Amino acid sequence: MSDIAAAPIARTALSFPGPVRTTDGWETTARHAAGGLRLADLGPLVKLTVRGPADGSVRAALGTSFGHTVRPRGGPLAGALVVGSGPGEWLVLGAPGTGGELLAGVRSIIADSGEFASVVDVTHGRALVRLTGADTPLLLSKVCAVDLADRVVPDGAAFRSSVARVVTDVVRDDVDGTRSYLLHCERSSGQYLADSLVDAGIEYGIEVGAPTEHDDATGHPR
Amino acid sequence: MSRARPGGSHRLGARPGEVIDRSRTIEFRWNGVTHTAHPGDTIASALAAAGVRVFARSYKYHRPRGLLTADIFDPGAILQVGDEPNVRAAHRLVEAGMDVRSQNTWPSLRYDVKAVNQLAGRFLATGFYYKTFIKPERLWPTYEKVLRRFVHAGEVSPDSEQPYFDKRYAHPDVLVAGGGPAGMAAAVAAARAGASVMLVEQEHQLGGHLRWGDAEDLRCRDELVAAVEAESNIEVLTDSVVAARYDDNWLAVVQRGLPHVAERLVKARAGTLVVAAGLIERPYVFAGNDLPGVMLSTAVRRLLNLYAVRPGSRAVVFTANPEGDAAAADLRAAGVDVVEVDARHGRTVVRATGRGGVEAVELSDGSRIEADLLVTAVGWTAPTSLLNMSGANPGYRPDAARFVPDPAATPAAVIAVGGIAGDGTRDELVAHADAAGREAAARALALAASRAGSADTRDPVAVPQLGLHHHPELFFALPTGGFVDMSEDVSAKDILTAVKEGYDSSELVKRYTTATMGPAQGKLETVNTVALVAHATGKTIAETGATTWRPMYTPITLGALAGRKFEPVRHSPMQPWHTSHKAAPLIAGQWIRPEHYGDPVAEVRNVRQNVGIIDVTPIGKLDLQGPDVAKLLNLLYVNKWSQLGIGRVRYGVMCAEDGVVLDDGVTGRLAENHYLMSTTSSGAGTVWEWAENWLQTEHPEWQVHVTPVTTAYASINVAGPKSRELLARLTDVDLDNAAFGYMNVRTGTIAGVADCVLWRIGFTGELSYELHVPASYGLHVWETLMATGADLGIAPFGVEAQRILRLEKGHLIVGQDTDGLTKAYSAGLDWAVKLDKPDFVGKPELAWQAARGEHPKLVGLRPLDTSVVPEEAAQIISDGGYIVGRITSSRLSPTLGRPICLGQVDAHLADPGTRLTVRLRNGSDTTVEVTAEHAHFDPEGERQRV
Repeated sequence: MSDIAAAPIARTALSFPGPVRTTDGWETTARHAAGGLRLADLGPLVKLTVRGPADGSVRAALGTSFGHTVRPRGGPLAGALVVGSGPGEWLVLGAPGTGGELLAGVRSIIADSGEFASVVDVTHGRALVRLTGADTPLLLSKVCAVDLADRVVPDGAAFRSSVARVVTDVVRDDVDGTRSYLLHCERSSGQYLADSLVDAGIEYGIEVGAPTEHDDATGHPR
Repeated sequence: MSRARPGGSHRLGARPGEVIDRSRTIEFRWNGVTHTAHPGDTIASALAAAGVRVFARSYKYHRPRGLLTADIFDPGAILQVGDEPNVRAAHRLVEAGMDVRSQNTWPSLRYDVKAVNQLAGRFLATGFYYKTFIKPERLWPTYEKVLRRFVHAGEVSPDSEQPYFDKRYAHPDVLVAGGGPAGMAAAVAAARAGASVMLVEQEHQLGGHLRWGDAEDLRCRDELVAAVEAESNIEVLTDSVVAARYDDNWLAVVQRGLPHVAERLVKARAGTLVVAAGLIERPYVFAGNDLPGVMLSTAVRRLLNLYAVRPGSRAVVFTANPEGDAAAADLRAAGVDVVEVDARHGRTVVRATGRGGVEAVELSDGSRIEADLLVTAVGWTAPTSLLNMSGANPGYRPDAARFVPDPAATPAAVIAVGGIAGDGTRDELVAHADAAGREAAARALALAASRAGSADTRDPVAVPQLGLHHHPELFFALPTGGFVDMSEDVSAKDILTAVKEGYDSSELVKRYTTATMGPAQGKLETVNTVALVAHATGKTIAETGATTWRPMYTPITLGALAGRKFEPVRHSPMQPWHTSHKAAPLIAGQWIRPEHYGDPVAEVRNVRQNVGIIDVTPIGKLDLQGPDVAKLLNLLYVNKWSQLGIGRVRYGVMCAEDGVVLDDGVTGRLAENHYLMSTTSSGAGTVWEWAENWLQTEHPEWQVHVTPVTTAYASINVAGPKSRELLARLTDVDLDNAAFGYMNVRTGTIAGVADCVLWRIGFTGELSYELHVPASYGLHVWETLMATGADLGIAPFGVEAQRILRLEKGHLIVGQDTDGLTKAYSAGLDWAVKLDKPDFVGKPELAWQAARGEHPKLVGLRPLDTSVVPEEAAQIISDGGYIVGRITSSRLSPTLGRPICLGQVDAHLADPGTRLTVRLRNGSDTTVEVTAEHAHFDPEGERQRV
């Protein structure tokens, strides 16, 4: 094997017009969004899918179940966002570069449980965006049929549904009291989904930009 | 452009409730002449202010028509605006620069040649088309061409820019249809009770009839509007309509007047629907009732009080109710000479006469009054459509001369308020709506609570019952004359004729005469039609009954129904490279793939001679984990999997229960309990669901987890005799044939990217490696391969080259060389089917197929005429002209320099050397010969095993 001059550059599923930047080996948009309604590409976040019994030791260790989310304060998944994405199915989101630790953490949970469970790293196989702003429910009402009222989808709730005809995990994850949703879908549809969201959000002044310090699945005070 | 005409010859001084902005003046064109208007004017009000009386010609007889209702239902003001036909000019707000024209008039609105139809009127009566054009049938195409010239519709230029239509969903607890006083009161009450409310109003402002009322009406309107605006959980949609109600309060709301959006369909799922549609004034049927200058009292009050337009100078007001009296008072206040004809005292109007407009009015007592305006106020139609769509069927009340809903027979999720529910003073109606709004909220919130698993502990709200005021029954004058449906040009005489001909029910008369089928959808016409049918049959109106009210409440565009188009597309991580290298896009399901990069033949040759790479990311990939994966594979595939070692790859075929080939692909064993399965690109979703279905329904005890990872990997096939040399420069995996032989799998690093999966397989028939790279690095690896292989002659190849390569090699494509009837043995997969396995999906059917041995077979075919490539799907025929098979794949082979095919043929014709006839698309025949193998090139597989 010869030496490869260029270090590998990872690219998320999304690209937008304008300058790009490379951070921690990931190339993303360098645009800055300052408006009241923002879409941020969170593709570089670690994404693990976990399968196991819907109500057993693995569920107890992950700390949440279908339709809900939790941010473990301690333990092997501390700092990650654990989403109950389906019956007996979880999505673990973590900061970029923490894949090895989180994978090991989930595997230790599985090993300790004695249950049949599995984990797959889908960091590269999924697209992830965050929509933030007071008008996000209005925007999403143009592409998703689910009632997003507080009593149906409160902060911390999650569901899987069709968003612009793409199967999408929708996670309500408010940021400092502002409505915010994570949208997670299969990678190849990511650009289409993002374009659909931007198109639907034009009338509300949507802007696309790089993640801010808040546009991260980790570190939210609860 | 013509000189601007000064608008306002009929414009009055400022009115307390006017909606126009007099501080600004805008210009627009009407039939080529420039007019002025104020913002807030409708097209019709602006034209009326300019003294325009005739707006259109009628549907069939091309009679001159003017304003009747001065709102969205007005049948006399349907115009062309720019490229948009059928615009409701009495509703659409005028805009600067609008080009407004009358529709289907020639040479002009004033001198319309087609008005000759009036002379032939007696030949154009009821059932004219059915009676006239039914025979001889062969002449219908000719009739159709002529009739099309008379169609009363506008024009759409094929060059028109396609408007943008939109869609959204809504989930209000309470949806209120109608923003009049009752609707507003109900909305406010519901909101204050804690419900989220959507308030939908067809007009441009809230207020309903209060808008054109007296000072007290305006004060009440202002208070209610302020109350609505104070409630943050009321969403107000003006210039919008609840077009339909379906089961479970699924409500189709069409929203207009949005910036940059033609119309938006709001799919609302409401807990409770409050119907506050108000009452629609009913026209009176008498001779000359369609003359311009005949108007409803509400139309007159709209024009006077909303738009400050004086509709005439000498008026006869035919009134049977207080609203008619109020119209007379408003006219007098505007300086119009008014003669009242009070129906409550037994006097009626029997005829209006004039040329091009009202000039005189004849009364039942024989008197004649000269006037240019005849105002009628003879009663109301309750627009009960949404109630009827809910399953309620309001009954006719002769004492009130209208249909009235029965609250006890109305579904719990639907409540009627306002004039549609009954009569009362303004305060009584508001109080009723207030209670109904609270009850609507209570029902909706209880429903939401029950869905959340909570018990319904609410206290029902007592909703008072509204009474009914007496109103005389006034529908038509005798002797009968005039028009019942001015949109469709259906006369009273037409209705009576239809009944005489045996169409003696409302539904039959509707279909025979087309009465009520016009743009107003019966709002103006239904009750009068029913009254005439009742008169002709000797039945009561209650016995006769109304026609069925169906969606849409108000006609909406097809664009609104189509809404926003969602057509997902999928791209691989290498798509930017393909685009920048001018790849011809191939739409494969949702995927956009490179079909070729300019020359697929050269791409084939390069793979055979050097090395090529193809983006095969869409290949389905499933991550399988668990101790029972081998059991699952043995169940789903027809071949055996128990002995597949770690690091090995095997080709497998899946069949459905009927033995028909479902999918194929290779599966590799990565670790003891970890496998990676590949599927066809189009079969990825199907196979995932297929595997989950069998696991969840038949073998929930098996410990297997299936995770779709199709796009977790960017997949690149590196094919060609130099592929090993190229890959060796970039990977830490030992590629020596002894270490990494054909049909093996390895994991390792490629171009600095860890966790890559390498399969040594050969769809192209060449030495090749299929690389599965963590998708985010796909573009990096692709670009590195291209750069590193430059000295080896590397070139990308697309799907077309791949199809040729695999056909040369004789590999089938599921769905191309198989169809929905092709069982495994028909696909030539005899070698793969292991009937000695204990069980697998499709085994019984395949065992039966094997025993019978009569199935069609997939065979290789070689055309004898090397200049002819039989088209795919061309029929293979026998000497007797019978179809005995078809060509499934065909190409001119760049490698062999001759055409090659695969085809399915009947079993007795599948022996090698058999010559068959293929019928080509141009009708000629060509001969093909069955080959010994599917593979036309390297049947021994020597090139891929090196």
